[in-house]
Amino acid sequence: MLEIKPIFNSLLRSKAGAIMLLIQIAITTAIVSNAAFIAKDRIDFLSQETGYPEDEIFSFTTMTFDKELDIVQKFEETETMLRNIPGVKNASLFNAVPLSGSGSAGGLSLKPATEEGPDVRAAYFLADENALDTLGVNLLEGRNFRPDEVIMSASRDVFPEVTIITQALGLELFPTGDALGKTVYFGVAPLKIIGIAEPMKSAWLKDSRPDNVSIIPFVGASIFQKIIVRTEPEQRTAIMRQIEDLMIQDHNKRVIIGLQGMDEDKRDNNASDILMLRMLITLIIVLVLITGLGIFGLTVFNINKRTKQIGTRRALGARKSAIVRYFLIENAIICVFGLVLGSIAAIFMGQLLLENYSMPALDTFYVLMTALFVFIASLLSVVMPATKAANISPSIATRSI
Amino acid sequence: MFFHYIDLSWRSLKRTPLVSALMVMAIAIGIGITMTSLSVYHMMSMDPIPHKSDQLFAVQLNTTDDGNEWWTSDNVPLQLTYKDAMYLHNAETPVRKTASIRTAFTVHMNNQDVKPFLSSVRAAGQDFFTMFDQHFIYGSPWSLAQEKAADAVVVINEETNNKLFGGTNSVGKQIYLDDSIFTVVGVTKQWQIHTKYYDLNNGSFNAPEPIFIPLTLWEPMQLVSRGNTNGWKHENVTTFEGQLQSEMFWVQFWAELPTENDVKQYHDFLFSYLTEQGTKGRYTREKPEFNLQDVNEWMEYNKVVSEDNKILVGLSFMFLAVCLANILGLLLGKFIRRAPEIGVRRALGANKRQIFLQHLVEVSVLGLLGGVIGIGIAQLGLWGVRVTSSQYADLAGMDLTMVLTAPAIAIGACIIAGLYPAWLVCKTQPAIYLKTQ
Repeated sequence: MLEIKPIFNSLLRSKAGAIMLLIQIAITTAIVSNAAFIAKDRIDFLSQETGYPEDEIFSFTTMTFDKELDIVQKFEETETMLRNIPGVKNASLFNAVPLSGSGSAGGLSLKPATEEGPDVRAAYFLADENALDTLGVNLLEGRNFRPDEVIMSASRDVFPEVTIITQALGLELFPTGDALGKTVYFGVAPLKIIGIAEPMKSAWLKDSRPDNVSIIPFVGASIFQKIIVRTEPEQRTAIMRQIEDLMIQDHNKRVIIGLQGMDEDKRDNNASDILMLRMLITLIIVLVLITGLGIFGLTVFNINKRTKQIGTRRALGARKSAIVRYFLIENAIICVFGLVLGSIAAIFMGQLLLENYSMPALDTFYVLMTALFVFIASLLSVVMPATKAANISPSIATRSI
Repeated sequence: MFFHYIDLSWRSLKRTPLVSALMVMAIAIGIGITMTSLSVYHMMSMDPIPHKSDQLFAVQLNTTDDGNEWWTSDNVPLQLTYKDAMYLHNAETPVRKTASIRTAFTVHMNNQDVKPFLSSVRAAGQDFFTMFDQHFIYGSPWSLAQEKAADAVVVINEETNNKLFGGTNSVGKQIYLDDSIFTVVGVTKQWQIHTKYYDLNNGSFNAPEPIFIPLTLWEPMQLVSRGNTNGWKHENVTTFEGQLQSEMFWVQFWAELPTENDVKQYHDFLFSYLTEQGTKGRYTREKPEFNLQDVNEWMEYNKVVSEDNKILVGLSFMFLAVCLANILGLLLGKFIRRAPEIGVRRALGANKRQIFLQHLVEVSVLGLLGGVIGIGIAQLGLWGVRVTSSQYADLAGMDLTMVLTAPAIAIGACIIAGLYPAWLVCKTQPAIYLKTQ
C-alpha cells in the first residue's frame, strides 16, 4: 500500500546519489549527537550554581611598594575606607578570590600532619569575620568568627584555632554529618569547626573537589593583597570605576590591578568552555542546514530528471498526494538506513572520545533525539520540492520532449 | 586547452546557478568551519623556535618518594626544587643552561612622569637570552661577572623601553623595581611567540615576561614566585630560607644540548647526580627518574593543545566530509544530465581523458571559489573566537600557510568528490545520445 517495494527498486537503479545522501545523513547524525552531548555537558558546567551573588561582587589586587609602611595597620584602615563607600555592603582582605582560577588548596586531615591520617582536599580562604558576608554566603549551622578569633599577622607563627567549612567538605571529613564542633588539622595546626556554610565553590570550578571550601580567620596582609568587595548590584559598575582613585588616595605607593566583577572573572576563566560551546552550536546548526540543503538539492534534481515520468503518472491518474508521498517515502527509506548507520557511528565515536579524551560517556538518548530530529529535518527539506513536483501538469508527458 | 576547460566550467556553472551556488556554499562553509578550528590548532601547536627546538631541553627530576603521584602522565613533577635547580645551574657542565622563575615587581621611575605599574619579571641566568634566541636592540645580556656578583642589573623589552624611555637607548639608565634601583644593561626586541613554551605553568599562551633580572638576586632579594609552587609532603616551612631548602617544586630549568653526544653526557650527569642524592636518603626511590624533553615533546607533555581543540578539528573534518558527500550527490545529478552534450563532444572526437579532465577542471573551479569564500567565512569564525576569549586573541588568526591551505584543501576535496561523477560521465557512449537527438 505504501509502494515501498517499487520505490526501493527504483532507488537501487540509481544508487550513487542515494548512497551519498545516506552517508551524509549518517555522518550528520554521528556528529550532531556527539556535539549536542558535549554542548549539553558544557552548558551544565557553565550554568552551575556557584553560591555567590556574582553580580554584586568584584575584586582587585593591591601591590604596595612602600617598605616603611605597617601594612597590617594600613589595610585595616583601607578596609574601613572601603566599607564606608556608599553602596558598598562589605569588603574584606582575602588570600584568594573564588572562581578566579588562582588560589590555595591543601589537605584537611583528621590527624596532625606528623601522624598518618585521612586527608581531604580543600580550598582555603584566609579572611576575617566579614568573609561570609562579603561573599554573600549564609551559615547553615553554627556561628560566624568572633573578632577576637581573627589572627592578624605578617608571618604564620600564630595560627587561628577555628574554621568554617562548607557542608560538602564536612560530609567528606565526617560522613555521619556531625562535623560541627569537631577538630581538623591544617598541617599541624588544629582547627575547630565552628560553622557549616551554604554551598560555595572554590577558586577552581574544574578542581577535583570544587565544593570543598574552608575559611580560616587569618589576615596576613601582604604587599600583594587581594581585596573582595560586595555592593548593591546596580551600583557595582559605578563603584568599580572610582576604586583605583580611592585606593591611591588612601595610600599613594600602590598599584591596583585585576579589577574585575566576579561574573566577568568567571566568564574569563571559563572562556575556553564558552568558546567550545559556541563552536559546537555553530557546527550543529550549519551541519543540519547543509544536510537539509543537500537533500533539497538532490530532490530538486531527481524531480527534474523525472519530470516526464511524473507527468505520465499524473496522466495515468495518480493524485498529487501520491506524487508527494512517493518522494517522502523515497527520502524516508534513505533516511532510515542513514540513521541506523549514523547511530552506530555515533555510539562508536562516543566510545572513541571516552577512551581517548576526558569526555563523559555518550548518552544514547542524545543519539535517539538526534536521529528523530534529522529525520524530521530531512522530511521537511523534501516537502517543498515534492509539492512542486506534484504540480507538474500531466500534459508534459504527452509532449514529445 | 586548460583555459578552454575553465571557460567551459564557467559556462556550466552559470547554466545551473542554483545548484552551483549550493555547491560553492557547501564547500565554502565546510572550508570555513574547518579552517577556523584548524587555524587555532595550527597556532597552538606551531613550533615556537623551529631552528633549535630539538636542541632545547626541559629538565625534570623526580625527587619525590616512590609511589608519590603527580598529575603528569609519568608522575614526574614539572618543576624543580630550588636546591636542585641551583646545583644544575652552577654545575660545571659545558652547555648553556638556566634555571628561572617568574616573579613580579612594581616598576616605576621614582618620579611623576611614569605611573607605577605592575610587571611580571623573570629571574634567569645570562644564558637565557642566547638559548631562547632573544635579540637585543641596545646593549646585551648582563655579564657572567655581574651575574656572579648579583648586581642590580636589568634587561627590559622594547615595549617597556618605549613606555619608560620613549624608545631611546636606555643602556646605563636606572629604573625602580619596587624600592630597589636597577641599571638597564640591555633592551630586547619584542619577543614574538604565541606559546610561552619555556614556562607553561600559568597559561600556555601568556605573554613572555617583559623584564629580566639575574637569578642570583633571588636569595638576597627574597624573590617570591608568581608561578606555581607545589609541595608533596608536610614540611614546616615558615621562613624564606626554609623554602629554599625545602622539597617544594617551583623552579623551571632548561639546557641547550646541540648534539646527540651532549644529550647523552647530560643524561649521564643527571643520572649520577640523582643517584648520589638518592644515597643521601633525601627520598626513597629505587632508581633515579628524570626527563629530558625537547621543546615539541615538552609542549605535547604539557598538553598545550587542548583536548577540546583536537575534538573540534576532528569534528570539522567530519563536517567537511558531509559537505563533500553533499557536493558529490549534486555533481552526480548535474554531470549525468549533461550526458547528451558529452555524447556529442565524444562523437566530434574528444577522447575520454579529455572529458575526464574537463570535468575535474570544473570541480576545481568550484573548489577554488568555495575555498576563497571559505577564507572569508573562516575570518568571521576567527573573529568570533577572538571576541569570545581574549586568551585566544593572538592565536585566532590565519598566517600565510593557513591562507594557502584553505583553497588547497577545498580544491583537493572537490577533486576527490568529482572523481566518480567525472569518471561516470566520461564513459558516456556517444551512439546512444546521437540516436535520440
